[in-house]
Amino acid sequence: MEKISIRIPASPAYLQVVRLVSAGLATRLKFTLDDIEDLKIAVDELSAYFTGAQGRDGTIQVDFLIDDDHIEIRGAGNFAPGQKVRTDLTEFSQMILDTVADEASLEQLDGTPTFRLTKSRKQ
Amino acid sequence: MSERATLSKDEVRSLFVAYQSATSEGEKLELRGRLVDQHIGLVEFLARRFRNRGEPLEDLVQVGTIGLLKAIERFDLEREVEFSTYATPTIVGELKRHFRDKGWAVRVPRRLQELHLELTKVVGFLGQELGRSPTVAELAEAASISEEEVLEGLEIAQAYNFTSLDAPIDTSDGGTTSFADQLGTEDEHLEYLEYRASLAPEMAKLPERERRILYLRFFKGMTQSEIADKLGISQMHVSRLLNRTLMSLREALEEE
Repeated sequence: MEKISIRIPASPAYLQVVRLVSAGLATRLKFTLDDIEDLKIAVDELSAYFTGAQGRDGTIQVDFLIDDDHIEIRGAGNFAPGQKVRTDLTEFSQMILDTVADEASLEQLDGTPTFRLTKSRKQ
Repeated sequence: MSERATLSKDEVRSLFVAYQSATSEGEKLELRGRLVDQHIGLVEFLARRFRNRGEPLEDLVQVGTIGLLKAIERFDLEREVEFSTYATPTIVGELKRHFRDKGWAVRVPRRLQELHLELTKVVGFLGQELGRSPTVAELAEAASISEEEVLEGLEIAQAYNFTSLDAPIDTSDGGTTSFADQLGTEDEHLEYLEYRASLAPEMAKLPERERRILYLRFFKGMTQSEIADKLGISQMHVSRLLNRTLMSLREALEEE
């Protein structure tokens, strides 16, 4: 298991970086293009809760944990006081994530909004 | 352009022989210049066919000249075909590509645009050949580029903008069609019934093709490649439409 971490400003403009890192790591795991695209959709969907459409005052820490054929992505938002962040998935998000990820969740942990998703290489 | 002498077919041919056997850089340049002068009239003629599309003719001639230069580089004297016949599709291709490039929503460097177009092709045929979605390593090898470039090319796909249903899209047999032509009609009303009931009203506002892709991906569980096959468009086009739709839905949700 190896861990790769990045921290980005909580702005949609930086989601591309998260997508690229996700895709780069999935490439190492020999994911197919379809699975890479799905992973990018999943990480986008979850991260978007933290960035909002306009961006928020704060940062997002994203940790990628990889082993031979499996990737886990954990996100944690660190926001300035007073920023409202939704931590329950909409029905629609849930449906998207059910399709594109193995597991996906969004929750509040000790006052910190977090997300987690996993995806394995299909054999 | 300078005064052009019109050469006979045989003279053009000997010019090509001289050009292709020239050894010094200076000599090559000089001969190429003469070949360009000789055929610039053809470029102007072809460029004029595109002049009603809002681009200055001089720019179009420049673009066409790039096509001409490519044709000069690639012309094979072994072929029993006149150079002008050979060059015409290359010049027209360059002009068409110029207009297609205008479809980029965000200014994307040409290198990346070409990378994207190349990848779209490779994704298509590799998928066919393998019978499954290709890996990045396989794409990189097939396109003779690095894995990083593949990833870059895939990400940049999101900047591509087809605004119109009538925007041309490449078909597998090398022709073009429009998305409007591709939209199936099979049981659409029936098909959408089950999800219309369960979804936010925002979905109902989506254009038909976006709705269809969303439906096939998340309700029917088809992969992006499968959807691409079904709709006769590239997987990268599906990816881009899907991402754009999801983004707009997220924004709509926030405005609630």
